Amino acid sequence: MSGRWLTRIAAVLLFVSLAASTLPRLVAIVNNARTLLPLPYEARRERQMGSWYASVEKFRAELPKKEQVALIAPPRDLDAAVFASYYLYPIRTRLFAGRNAYRNAAPDPTRPNVIVAVNASHAERTEYDILRDRDLRAGHRVVANLQLSEPTTAFILPIAASQDGPSPDTFLIEATLANPNAAPAEVRATFWPKGVVRTVTIPAHGTAAYYDFVYQLFGIMSSGWMHVESSQPLRGAFYFVNRGRADATLLPNASEATAIAPGALYRDTKLFIINPKDTRATAILNGESIPLDPHAFISKPIESLPVVSGDVYAFVTTRELNGRTNFLWPQ
Amino acid sequence: MIGFIVTLVLFPLIGLSLGRRSLGEAFLLGLGITGSVLFIAGVVHVPLVIAMGLIAVWGVGRGVWELKNAFPVAKPHSPLPTILMIIPLLALTFTAAITPLNDFDGRAFWALKAKGIAHERSIDGPFFHGGTHDPRNQYPILIPLDGAVILSLAHNLDDRNLRWLYLGILAALALLVRERIGRLVSPAAGAWCAAILIWIPQFAVEPEGGALSAYNDIAITAFAAGAFFELLDTEKKEFRFGLWLAFLVLTKSEGLPLALVFLAIGAFVFRKRILTPAIITFVATAALLVWRSRIPAGDEEDLFRLLPTIPEKLHRLGIAAAAFPSHMLLMPRWGIFWIAVIVAAVLAARIERRAWIAIAVIASILATYTAVYVTTAWIPSELIAVTADRLLMHVIAPSLFLMALAARTRKTLSS
Repeated sequence: MSGRWLTRIAAVLLFVSLAASTLPRLVAIVNNARTLLPLPYEARRERQMGSWYASVEKFRAELPKKEQVALIAPPRDLDAAVFASYYLYPIRTRLFAGRNAYRNAAPDPTRPNVIVAVNASHAERTEYDILRDRDLRAGHRVVANLQLSEPTTAFILPIAASQDGPSPDTFLIEATLANPNAAPAEVRATFWPKGVVRTVTIPAHGTAAYYDFVYQLFGIMSSGWMHVESSQPLRGAFYFVNRGRADATLLPNASEATAIAPGALYRDTKLFIINPKDTRATAILNGESIPLDPHAFISKPIESLPVVSGDVYAFVTTRELNGRTNFLWPQ
Repeated sequence: MIGFIVTLVLFPLIGLSLGRRSLGEAFLLGLGITGSVLFIAGVVHVPLVIAMGLIAVWGVGRGVWELKNAFPVAKPHSPLPTILMIIPLLALTFTAAITPLNDFDGRAFWALKAKGIAHERSIDGPFFHGGTHDPRNQYPILIPLDGAVILSLAHNLDDRNLRWLYLGILAALALLVRERIGRLVSPAAGAWCAAILIWIPQFAVEPEGGALSAYNDIAITAFAAGAFFELLDTEKKEFRFGLWLAFLVLTKSEGLPLALVFLAIGAFVFRKRILTPAIITFVATAALLVWRSRIPAGDEEDLFRLLPTIPEKLHRLGIAAAAFPSHMLLMPRWGIFWIAVIVAAVLAARIERRAWIAIAVIASILATYTAVYVTTAWIPSELIAVTADRLLMHVIAPSLFLMALAARTRKTLSS
């Protein structure tokens, strides 16, 4: 066989080996293009990328044009955020790998306020507290063995919070209200000092449990104290919880008291004073008078245990080096 | 439609402004000149709009003048390979016109940069300073600058305007291969090599790195092809060789080591005249470094900083050395192409001195990339899996040239 024929055979073999792979794929992509042809261009993108692209386009018009947008995506879905950034441009974006990355950037004054949550299947404009609530709901409560109080019609929680510190600190109130009565209990909760009120009904012999009492009742992330009143005596348990550190402290039912029990002070130590009454009150702090409005809630950093008196409720929080929050309650 | 017209008319005319040449080469030179001039203009703070206007006026004027003097009409050769080359290109053109961009790097890096530059008319504006999420902020931007020209002229940031650019680069590469191998070996060999190139799955239909994606690997392959053919050209145009090397440096991170390989081999070919390409490459590299120093880094790897870690990573040598041979045998991406290239290299090296230049280019480039696999901070096997086939694309021109030489050698022997 001549060299010319050998060359030709080799060329044919090579060409066939290439065409065997290219031709079917070429036919497939041309056929795909034919099916896309009748659709408008944006609809073609939707066909290619599914509902994910449609969700991006849906809120695109609502986003501010001149403000940077935070794209928060779970670390496993960062690619989706990268593509969201691509399709949203020229809307400027900043990517955060997970909600914790966003909250840890809180001290950064350039951190965007507008949030878009992205994952591999969906993108949506949202708020930080909604993402936080989703995560908390999907997780587990810290307190497994509840210490329910004796039945009573009023609870004063000296601290009620739904707030985040730097990751993993996630402060909230885990609450359980059990109605041992044969009649439903109408419960009225007031969050002070904002003064917002919510009412809930606990059925006869029923129990209501909350993984984030403040946010679930009031839909806000804030701190203060809370007055819970019930039409029927209820057994209750309210825990101040740091979900990120699986740390929980049972809250007492507060009444006027100021003699704070001595205890070790660590870091971030704060004195809290509340005025649970409907009238003005005066707290005497190390000999200095501090007038308090009705339902006031104040806190101040301290370095040593203060002497407090007056018709108020005072307590101290301090954080151990391991992040656990210790409470020094009044006697 | 504006994107299509700009791609098809503006870049070839700018390429023709340097003198009469084939359409493929004119297109690639036009892309390179436009991107490089805009980049240098951006580095020295000349407003991009002004630079764009000047290039367009000068390039189109000169290009039209060249065309008026003599239109470079190629003689039709070898109808069968020509038809075989055209069929996939038509299919890809139809597809590019209809299907939206859908690849990873294209959207995550390259087309995003084109949008950013077109929107801000700057290469160091807020986009490159954290204004938006740009994961590989310091990647070279020659092709995104070309894309920005298209988007700016179209007054539209939609990536559908860029679809023609990437397909155009493949078509231009094929035409360059056809014309140059046609001249260096035989017109029929050139036509067949171009047809083979277009039918390689990695170029034609691979979603990540193929002609329907917005990766820059076909562009760097085309510029490397331009540089390689200058090494073999009897006219030995060192300025043009230097231009190709500058384009390589400004197109992708791999471009700088590629340019250095070409400079080293070019030193044997051009002798003292290698100084001109070296200066041009140096200017491009300096401009790139100055630009990079002004903008924050993304999450790209700094390989130069990783170089001292090579001794502790020598255990990776086995997996790095096996990377290219194993990917060369991936039939769905390459068919028996690389087997044919190896056989061709053995045959051609026995008779043709020029074959050794091609072998030296291929071996040096693949050795450089293998060293990168050893050095990388990535898990080598993962990096190899996503990059080896695209890096193999970069040596396609010398590989096709070896096949053309071998075919001619067989014919010579048989006659």
